[in-house]
Amino acid sequence: MATVTSAPADVLITLVSDIGMQGEFASRTLEVTSSFLRTIEADGTESLRVELADIITARNEPLIGGGQMEVTCKGGVIIPVIAYSLTLAAAFSECARGIEQLAGGNPLSIKISTKPLRCQQCGRLLPDKDGTCPVCVNRNRTFYRIAGYLRPYFRQAMLLVVLSLCTTAINLVPPLLQGHLVDAVFNKHQHLIILYKTIALWAVVIGLTALLQIASGRTTAYLAGSIAADLRSAVFQAIELLQVSYFDKKQVGAITSRVTQDTDRVWGFLVDGLPYLASNSLLFLGITIMLIVTNWRLALAVMAPVPLMLILSAVSWSSISRLYFKVGQKWARFHMHLNEALTGIRVVKIFAREEAEMHKFRSRNGDLRSAGIEADTRWFTVFGAMTLLVASGQLINWIVGGEMVYAHEITLGQFIQVNSYIAMVYGPLQWFGDLNQWFSRAMAGAERIFEVIDAETEPYDDTDNHPPIVGRVEFNGVRFGYDKSNPVINGLSFVAEPGEMIGLVGKSGAGKSTTINLLCRFYQPDAGTISIDGVDYTEFQLQALRKQVGVVLQDPFLFNGTIAENIAYARPNAPFEEIVTAARQANAHNFILGKPDGYDTMVGEKGAQLSGGERQRISIARAILHNPRILILDEATSAVDVETERQIQEALANLVKGRTTFAIAHRLSTLRNADRLIVLEKGRIAEMGTHNELLEKQGVFYHLVQTQSQVTQIMEVGD
Amino acid sequence: MTPAQPRAQDLRLFCNPDTQLRLTVNDAISYTSVTPVWASPMRYPGRYLALLDGKGEEIVTLADPDELDEESLKAVKGILRKRTLTATVFAINQVKVEYGATYWTVETDRGIREFVTVNLQETANWLSDTHLLLCDVDGNRFEIKDATVLDVRSRTLLAKAL
Repeated sequence: MATVTSAPADVLITLVSDIGMQGEFASRTLEVTSSFLRTIEADGTESLRVELADIITARNEPLIGGGQMEVTCKGGVIIPVIAYSLTLAAAFSECARGIEQLAGGNPLSIKISTKPLRCQQCGRLLPDKDGTCPVCVNRNRTFYRIAGYLRPYFRQAMLLVVLSLCTTAINLVPPLLQGHLVDAVFNKHQHLIILYKTIALWAVVIGLTALLQIASGRTTAYLAGSIAADLRSAVFQAIELLQVSYFDKKQVGAITSRVTQDTDRVWGFLVDGLPYLASNSLLFLGITIMLIVTNWRLALAVMAPVPLMLILSAVSWSSISRLYFKVGQKWARFHMHLNEALTGIRVVKIFAREEAEMHKFRSRNGDLRSAGIEADTRWFTVFGAMTLLVASGQLINWIVGGEMVYAHEITLGQFIQVNSYIAMVYGPLQWFGDLNQWFSRAMAGAERIFEVIDAETEPYDDTDNHPPIVGRVEFNGVRFGYDKSNPVINGLSFVAEPGEMIGLVGKSGAGKSTTINLLCRFYQPDAGTISIDGVDYTEFQLQALRKQVGVVLQDPFLFNGTIAENIAYARPNAPFEEIVTAARQANAHNFILGKPDGYDTMVGEKGAQLSGGERQRISIARAILHNPRILILDEATSAVDVETERQIQEALANLVKGRTTFAIAHRLSTLRNADRLIVLEKGRIAEMGTHNELLEKQGVFYHLVQTQSQVTQIMEVGD
Repeated sequence: MTPAQPRAQDLRLFCNPDTQLRLTVNDAISYTSVTPVWASPMRYPGRYLALLDGKGEEIVTLADPDELDEESLKAVKGILRKRTLTATVFAINQVKVEYGATYWTVETDRGIREFVTVNLQETANWLSDTHLLLCDVDGNRFEIKDATVLDVRSRTLLAKAL
């Protein structure tokens, strides 16, 4: 090991790893210059140096819980360069690509993402590298942004505020009336008319309170419904326009929870939380003033337990909240098992695993019961302590206030009045303890919603400045990788003439589906271009381009609705006659007529009411009606019986006429009709030609056919 | 029929260079690049060691790797340690649960580490009643092989978090 004396002048890449030479957690630096790479230990010593001229390839070897960058040098020697945790995997992966570029004499063209691992403000590790620190999130900024959703309902919101103020004010009246009754009527034993007048006034107050409650309840219901709908629409609209790559990173369940749970949290706070906060704050203020006005010494005495309540609330809240969070987790596990057991009920029965599933259920149920009991027990204990403090406030009033009444320092009416106010003041206090957490949860939910709303969308616009597509597709040196350092498509070039049918062939992972994804512009090439009719397809308006591309998938997705609605999905206003014509061409018309409701048959969720072959023909009819110039058939005839396959093949023959078609098929024999086959291997074209040409050539395609034929024979013997 | 697999006694494993595991079977067949992997590291820790060739295909799976000779076992364990970056937790120094994220500071066989987890219901996996595997937000793994032998403070913090 040599001591580093000075840093080289032309360092092109510097990356700090978090795994040391012996696998320990330690800082270790990788530097890449134009002529060599080296690693530097935490103490500044250089532990490895490799000349770039000696490097043939650089790669990232996945390890368990991390990875290791390795370089292969001339002579085939593999040198492990540096290990890193998964936290840094993406950066080192990109770095390996850069090393290969430099070693190959190419200019460095990489983007190493160096997103902060810790919050700049509080230093905490960031749970989401793309997101914000949940602790330091600027709640005010987020608050103003979500408050913006109230803007369309400004008048209703203001009405709610006014109603809250009136409710608060009117709530302060009954104790005053009680005091007045006691002093003016009962104590003095005269003017019974005052009793009737006061009771009449009280009745008016009760009536007004009821009216105010109805009015604010109705306003709240309107606001709640409207804002919830607006928020959900905003999130769903954002999701619909997101790039496909966003869905690669997030689970559907997590996205769904943003549309449902997070929006619920936000509108719950806006519609319930804010008015409740306002009215309770006002009520607390009003009562405090009334108590001080009545007698400041008594006010101080009866409010003595207030700080204790606030402390108890603050201290106990986090543990109670954690326990209820745990209950939520147990519920989720419980639901997960229930859902799984019900969905897979046939499998459970066929393997006679009912008892095992029952055992698992009892275990989950027991966990849920224990968590629920623990949380409820803690809550009722704290609630009991709160009740004790509330009662002690009243007890103090009876002691201190009672003495004052006895000493004629206050009247009995004032005493009763204070007693009523005490009962009212402690309710809001219990709630204030939760306020910060409630607010924070709502703001955290809002942040997650805004993360979706602010995420980069696909480049949609309404203008379409291109004539209809003829269908000439050209891939020119296309390179693409989901992980940028690991290209799945590498230098792909070919031309598909209008109306030509191209079969894409290759082993799993060869790049067939990725080629299709690129063609649909779900992703765009990292390098090279895809042209349609000689124009770079990125210049086309996205929706206009996709309207010219039709897809028939192996497992077609149908929406819950009628058969006719599904066929007309791309053209909802298509005349019924055209729907029927498309169904006829797709060999679907007869089976549709065989259904009691014909074209109005509901297909169920994901088309579950139809067989696989029926779903497939509906999807073909959908593609026919869509009438695209470019067609993609992705394993469109697998997993159906021979007769159904014949019908589907016929339907497909109708569909592909005059369209540029790209077909992927598991059974290579089904691509016999393709004009040309492109055989892909590791993202490159291994062979290209007609079915017969490739068989005669006895190359990669020939071996694939041979292997498949052997497998088929084995399967037939097995049958 | 599955061909008979070589026995542990037939295998000689060694590193050459230090980072590359090689294998000879009965001093007749030689593999220049061998990757050792545990077939079932959670359910059967220390058992069922599979040796893969340069193409990632199985050469042999040993039910009891301890049957290997001492030198071979040492070579395999050395490579396995380099390939496995899972940290074994000895003590939990701090756990903080804030706004749905759990912040941990732990002492491990690889040193002290801070990490953050979310959604513990999915990322904290009890492999047995006492064996816990935690995965942080990036997928890094932290293993508590026996939660009952942790010190009292660590156990309390763990119970608080989970």
